[in-house]
Amino acid sequence: MKIEIKVPGLGDGVDQVDVAAVEVAEGASVGADDTLVTLETDKAAMDIPADVAGTVVQILVKAGDKLAEGDLIAVVDSEQAEESAESDAPESDSQDSETEKSEAAETEPAEPVAEENDEPTPVADRPTPPAKAETAAPDAGSSTSSAHASPAVRQFARELGADLGAINGSGRKGRITRSDVTAFVKGLLTSGSGGGAGLEPLPDYDHSQWGETELLSLSRIRQLTAKNLSRSWPQIPQVTQFDESDITELEAFRQAQKSLADQQEVKLTLLALVMKAVVHSLRSFPDFNSSLHADGQQLVLKKYFHIGVAVETEAGLVVPVVRDVDQKGIFEIAAALGDLSGRARQRKLKPDEMQGSSFTISSLGGIGGTAFTPVVNHPNVAILGLSRSQMKPVWDGSEFQPRLMLPLSLSYDHRVIDGAVAARFTRHLADNLADIRRVLL
Amino acid sequence: MAKAEKTSIETEVVVIGAGPGGYTAAFRAADLGKKVVLVERFPILGGVCLNVGCIPSKALLHVAKVVDEATESADMGVSFGKPTIDLDKVRAGKQSVVGKLTGGLAGLAKQRKVQVVQGEGRFTSATELLVTGEDGDTCISFENAVVACGSSPTRIPNFPYDDPRLMDSTGALELEDIPKKLLVIGGGYIGLEMASVYHALGSAVSVVEFMPALLPGADADLVKPLQKRLQSKLAEIKLNTKVTDIKPQKNGLKVSFEGPDGEASGIYDRVLVSVGRRPNSQLFDAEKAGIEINERGFAVVDEQMRTSVPHIFAIGDIAGDPMLAHKAVHEGKVAAEVIAGMKSAFDPLAIPAVVFTDPEVAWAGVTEAQAKEQDIKYGKGVFPWAANGRSLSLHRDEGMTKILFDEQSHRVIGVGIVGPGAGDLIAEGVLAIEMGADAEDLALTIHPHPTLSETVAMAAEVFDGSVTDIFVPKRK
Repeated sequence: MKIEIKVPGLGDGVDQVDVAAVEVAEGASVGADDTLVTLETDKAAMDIPADVAGTVVQILVKAGDKLAEGDLIAVVDSEQAEESAESDAPESDSQDSETEKSEAAETEPAEPVAEENDEPTPVADRPTPPAKAETAAPDAGSSTSSAHASPAVRQFARELGADLGAINGSGRKGRITRSDVTAFVKGLLTSGSGGGAGLEPLPDYDHSQWGETELLSLSRIRQLTAKNLSRSWPQIPQVTQFDESDITELEAFRQAQKSLADQQEVKLTLLALVMKAVVHSLRSFPDFNSSLHADGQQLVLKKYFHIGVAVETEAGLVVPVVRDVDQKGIFEIAAALGDLSGRARQRKLKPDEMQGSSFTISSLGGIGGTAFTPVVNHPNVAILGLSRSQMKPVWDGSEFQPRLMLPLSLSYDHRVIDGAVAARFTRHLADNLADIRRVLL
Repeated sequence: MAKAEKTSIETEVVVIGAGPGGYTAAFRAADLGKKVVLVERFPILGGVCLNVGCIPSKALLHVAKVVDEATESADMGVSFGKPTIDLDKVRAGKQSVVGKLTGGLAGLAKQRKVQVVQGEGRFTSATELLVTGEDGDTCISFENAVVACGSSPTRIPNFPYDDPRLMDSTGALELEDIPKKLLVIGGGYIGLEMASVYHALGSAVSVVEFMPALLPGADADLVKPLQKRLQSKLAEIKLNTKVTDIKPQKNGLKVSFEGPDGEASGIYDRVLVSVGRRPNSQLFDAEKAGIEINERGFAVVDEQMRTSVPHIFAIGDIAGDPMLAHKAVHEGKVAAEVIAGMKSAFDPLAIPAVVFTDPEVAWAGVTEAQAKEQDIKYGKGVFPWAANGRSLSLHRDEGMTKILFDEQSHRVIGVGIVGPGAGDLIAEGVLAIEMGADAEDLALTIHPHPTLSETVAMAAEVFDGSVTDIFVPKRK
């Protein structure tokens, strides 16, 4: 319905009002409280709101026009009410909001190399770079911009070499106080593993003294990967549990679905099947689908199942996330994988497509190898590595049978998960993959 | 020019330029225990600010204010009649203000044992400065140098600068006479301040500005009340207009304009050119020391005020925008502290700007125009001074206080004020930004009544919906 916005009553003795500014353009989506134009008299300025959510069909005035009471200002169509989603994290004067933004945009793109051949699994590189979840984090709290520090506190932090971005403010409204800075620095000094601040920096060498060298600039993604790993590696005690799964039947099933998959224009990969099996195991072992709370006293159990998949690209490693894998059918998962990895290679992933994972999978099977130790993708607590499936002789009780075995390498955060549980989880997953029908249970 | 006498000095710190940036750096370095030599090309310390800038202009603006108030007080029932202006006395009064400050500077330098060398300092290498003075040359070898050479008024090519009737701000402050008709080219803060002074002293003043608005850079709603008042006082304000030619004639300077209504011309007794200032990067032989100067003429510096040469610092107008004395002062302090080994850096969240016209205009932090351009999500609170008791008791009602708040955290990100005393009121705004104050903090802080400072708290109350002194219909 088209609503006409007119100049309201101006008050005693005021016949005319000037248009001070036009705040929206024709075609813009507006909410009921959004200002369309600002009118001014000698005494005051008033904002004229849209009063309805909708689309601005017409603006009939421009800055400088003189209007009287009742004049038509604009026409708003309230039928196409579109709530434009508010963008996150407004830019403010906070110190590291800029770095956060660029880091979020740079979580590693991934590269599904092996998709073309019938190799079972797409390739993913060894170091799994963590998605920087902080910027879009729902736990942003009252002030999304980073904590504030007054000039004196900034100077103090600078003197001690403390990074304000890493300090939580305990002052009113989350402000960083002098004692916050002191406590932070003390913490770094006393806790051995804390932040690697106590670590001696690696020495630099002049390699050209031994022969010819060439300097190669590293991509931003590579640099970010390095930074993130340097940070998480010393702080997350990780262990890798190795196991194997008999995927002979699974592979037969996958091959048999080829024509059906082609009809749906989807490439049914082993990875898609593994993802479905993983979700089933995560349901039975919810700790593996969690994050360790910053207070170290609680585990944040996730009720959603967003699986990150490490993809190798020219510029480096990227981990796009397939959301709600539990609610998707296998073809849907395969289609999502194809889309994300394709766009990842073209560097067309959106920042939020690389955030929010609750578990990660890294597959090097397409390339080869027998096993590897993937690095836990903080803030996940576990990561599954897949290597190349091989035909192996497996003893069935009376003789050796040729079976297609898929190596599983599950790295986990030992602060949250113990060895026995990890072994059980991996076994559970292996059993799921050996008989995919279990996923229906 | 150079006489036979040549002295050699070795020092820890040499500061080139004794304006507010230079003398602050010199005195701070001395207080931190350094041996300091301060080089100044003029016989009197203080730079542009003290001698031909901030201070004398404010002294004259006060005179202008008194004259204006005497005229306007008739409405209050007190009539004075037309004032008699004794120009020599006005000039002398201005000079005595300047003299008190510059004399004070010389005293401070002496107390701190800062050696002052008069002459033009130029680098001969990255560790040596040659000062050519009237009584001879001084060769200064230094461990650290602070370049504080300042800026000069921008000149427009082809303008007849040899004609004494064409002046820049320095000439205008000399107050040689009160021209019957004065044209001010440039509607920025210098042009408008000088226009106010000359108008009060009796000139018919016209202002011409190339951009579509006066005070480019300031939000339009802050400029409006000033423009309105100036429009009623000044002879003419031309916007969107370029000066294409100035021809000296016997009866005055003939100025040709090109504006939205086509070409025009006028004859003026004097013309003030105040179209901006450029850094004095050509004064100190930067390249001999290896100091990088960018394409705008500024020395390239980092947060610690270091130039491309790690032991040479640059501060103030020579180091970049905004070219304001208080910025130079803080940069000078940082440079001195870094030299002394402290981990200082220049990282303010806001630098205020003040225009000392009547009404004054002042702003700090993000302007509304910037917020829109950078797509910053903000909320704002505007309080009209027409509802402020103190303003009304001054018989003024045109002022306004506007505060921009971060949309999510409600922290103050920008403040703009227009009205008498805006220049003093803005300080609270800068503090609010630096301290991360939010609307609630401002609103809950008790401001004295009846003062203009209340408008700051009330603008915050307008934003958070708790204001009672005006009625703002609820929309959320």
